[in-house]
Amino acid sequence: MSTIIEELQETSGEDFDPFPLMPVGEAVDMGTAEDGTPLFDPRIFDSPEFFRNPYPYYRILRDHYPVYHDKLHNTYWVTRYDDITECYFDDEGFNTIPKGSSSGVLGNTQLELSGVEHRRRRNLYGQHLVGRSLQLRIPSIERLATEMIDAWDKYAAEGADFVVDEGNTRTIELGKAFADEFPIGVVCEVLGFPKEAQQDFYYWYNSMMSGLGGSETHKQGVEARQHLEDYVSGIVEERRKNPTYLYDEAGNPVSKDIISKLCETRVDGDFLSTEEITSNIALIVGGGGETTRGAIMNLWTLLLRHPDQFEAVMADEENWDRAFHEMLRHSSSIGGQPRHNTFDVEMHGVHVPAGSLMQMVDFSANHDERIFKDPESYNIFREDLYSGKLLRSGYRKEGRCNHMAFGVGPHLCPGAWISHQETVVGSKILATRMPNVRIVEERMPKDIDGVSPAPMGIVSVRQLWLQFDRV
Amino acid sequence: MTEPGIEGRNGVVIARRPPRETTPRYRTYEVHQRERVGESTEKIKPIQLLSDDYRRNPYPLLEILREHYPFYRDWLGNRYWLTPYNDVTSVFVDDANFETRPKTWFYGLEGFGRNLGDELSVLEFEAGHTDNLVEGLAASLADRLASRGEGDIATEFAAQLPLDLLCEMYAIAQEDRDLFCKRYWRAQRGTSWRPDLQNDGRQALDELLGYFEPLVEERRSHPGEDLVSVMLQHQPDEGPVTAGDVVVTLLERDHETLHGALANLWYLLLTHPEEFEKARSDGRLMKLGYLETLRHSTPAISALRFARHEVERFGKLIPEGALVVCSAGAANRDPRVFNDPDRFVVDRRDLCQREPRGQYRADGLATGIAFGLGKPSSHPAIPEDRPRSKYALTRDTAVTASWVLSETLQNMSLAPGAEPELAALTVGEMHTCWSLPVRC
Repeated sequence: MSTIIEELQETSGEDFDPFPLMPVGEAVDMGTAEDGTPLFDPRIFDSPEFFRNPYPYYRILRDHYPVYHDKLHNTYWVTRYDDITECYFDDEGFNTIPKGSSSGVLGNTQLELSGVEHRRRRNLYGQHLVGRSLQLRIPSIERLATEMIDAWDKYAAEGADFVVDEGNTRTIELGKAFADEFPIGVVCEVLGFPKEAQQDFYYWYNSMMSGLGGSETHKQGVEARQHLEDYVSGIVEERRKNPTYLYDEAGNPVSKDIISKLCETRVDGDFLSTEEITSNIALIVGGGGETTRGAIMNLWTLLLRHPDQFEAVMADEENWDRAFHEMLRHSSSIGGQPRHNTFDVEMHGVHVPAGSLMQMVDFSANHDERIFKDPESYNIFREDLYSGKLLRSGYRKEGRCNHMAFGVGPHLCPGAWISHQETVVGSKILATRMPNVRIVEERMPKDIDGVSPAPMGIVSVRQLWLQFDRV
Repeated sequence: MTEPGIEGRNGVVIARRPPRETTPRYRTYEVHQRERVGESTEKIKPIQLLSDDYRRNPYPLLEILREHYPFYRDWLGNRYWLTPYNDVTSVFVDDANFETRPKTWFYGLEGFGRNLGDELSVLEFEAGHTDNLVEGLAASLADRLASRGEGDIATEFAAQLPLDLLCEMYAIAQEDRDLFCKRYWRAQRGTSWRPDLQNDGRQALDELLGYFEPLVEERRSHPGEDLVSVMLQHQPDEGPVTAGDVVVTLLERDHETLHGALANLWYLLLTHPEEFEKARSDGRLMKLGYLETLRHSTPAISALRFARHEVERFGKLIPEGALVVCSAGAANRDPRVFNDPDRFVVDRRDLCQREPRGQYRADGLATGIAFGLGKPSSHPAIPEDRPRSKYALTRDTAVTASWVLSETLQNMSLAPGAEPELAALTVGEMHTCWSLPVRC
């Protein structure tokens, strides 16, 4: 008998092997080719190990397989900063036409359009989230943050478990006490949703977000989306007749809210349909919550774990911007975007047939050592990160580069600027209200060694326990 | 890919081909949105289709797909699963809209060599040679089992016979055979998604190239009675046959069906004694047993097809380049086509008893789908001077070999305590029996 048959027979009982959890920064040994190149097992993408410790794996991809053909997921992973920006800018060659990436939960949005169609739609509501419109909204963002922090006294008195007073110190869970609701409050405010809609908002938001990927939860996502659509279409009909306004501190109307603006927007001389408005709102609902929540949580976690940098931020308010951008570079909430190549292309010697799914991994671009020195460390003073005003055209001058958390090019996140303002304005107010703040490390989840704090991985911090002196 | 690359703003060079003339590309988008794309699939998670359960017994999961999500979008694997019999066969004969990609594509080695497997002279030689050899080879394997009084049909017969045939056909020297078979298997497994197998396969291809290069030169000057010599006599327009062509032809041949069908046939016969009695009573019934095996437990459980362009099918708009997994396993157990499809019945009345030509039904009956054999001839009436199709050749080989085995080992039965099962080595590989101990 052939020896090969015996060998095969021996492996026939082999089980589907999960990957062990590794110390952060170290990759599981997935084997080595004869020439010393490490091999890469695509099953890692579905493993718990990858969710907590993704960066060493991305490093392998960047170094050895810059365009990795993953036959298990029928996908090409693109991981280097240069390649990703190249593809992002070229929205003709690398289009966003879906193969169902948002599975219909978000609906008819400009996320999945390319070229002229995309530009035209995006600007309809994107314009309300930038520049002067944004400046006009900052006072209401500040007011909202102050109101939420003021409510802590009340929660403590009611015996809530996320705001606890002991003597002169107060312990809070930043998520429940602030970060979960703050971005949603801002979105409601900006959209002009009535206050009573906020409860439903959590339902829409949570169901739609969890419905995006998974099969079991997809149905809830679509149902929530339908519910949102029914609700919004009612509001839209109403606002078409009676527009509503945002007010400044003195109570004067400063501008119409986004729904009212969209109601009077025309494309090619025609008013937007209710369906189009709803889809855009669904996108804002989806995009405006979790990402900013993650940003606030990650920012505070990182800063408090780097006390010298926190001090620098407290000493000079200008440093909040640096801290914010470095946080997004170090651990952002959005992993990347899918693209489909319109033509047959060849990148790094890999032939990609037209119509293939290519995953642009922003996480990996942000940790590309070709761009950012010592990428795994959080350093708000790094020389190679651009932390000025975000530009759609990207920034790459004199050794400084923008991070990729918001993407770059035509599809740059339209909420980037408002998210920046929310996080920084909110954090500045938080900082003044939490004197001598520190993380309650014993209540934070631990890593596999049981001692060091659990890594952030590719999901943002879920719970953050803080302790500070009561004023 | 020879056009000059375009240098982008970051100095990244991207070689590209111009777009093909197609319908406007926004159509996919519109239809996806109109239909809300994904159906909700609470009954199955896509990760299950990569799981160990699927590797061992895919049929329960495939039944869920077939009965609830006949055209299932698997977002995790970025592909569509097609499961009803009539739909699978419709894609399988639809060359205009769906393409297969050669194994060299999965290796990313498109320029490695040419596949000469469909050349008339090659087919003719294979058919003639196999017919001459199969009885003798099967008899010697069977005799070896008989003399020991026990053995393993899966490894010592089903897996071995195709390798023996291959070595004879390529006239591999006796001392090289073990190494040759190893390399052949490694090359075949290298199309897998597993990086260690990919890597191993790539190396095996190089080793095979190194092995065949001197052999090709030798047989070019001294042609013999073997497949390599036959290939070398062939004169393609694009230049003389090289060792690379010989290796690619070897890689692209049907690797699964003869081995898998033999192992699965004997697994089913030995675990269904009544059916075994039927099959061993008559050579014709042995043939029906083989056909029923390909239906009931086909070794190539699914085949991959890629959409050539945007095409609307099965209630969905399939984007260009989309991967459609045509599941033979599910289609072959479709209760709309076969009565009581999970039962193994040698003389099944609702299964076509001959080679279907040009489609998957003949005499008003459906056939089992076995992808390794390629699609049925596109010429419903095969001209007389054409060799038998690969389908017929594999069938005749498997039936002859099985007949020899059952004649030689009259008192064969499953070894006591044996619990054979079908499984793939990894998800996506051939679904067959790896251990079938018998007494005889």
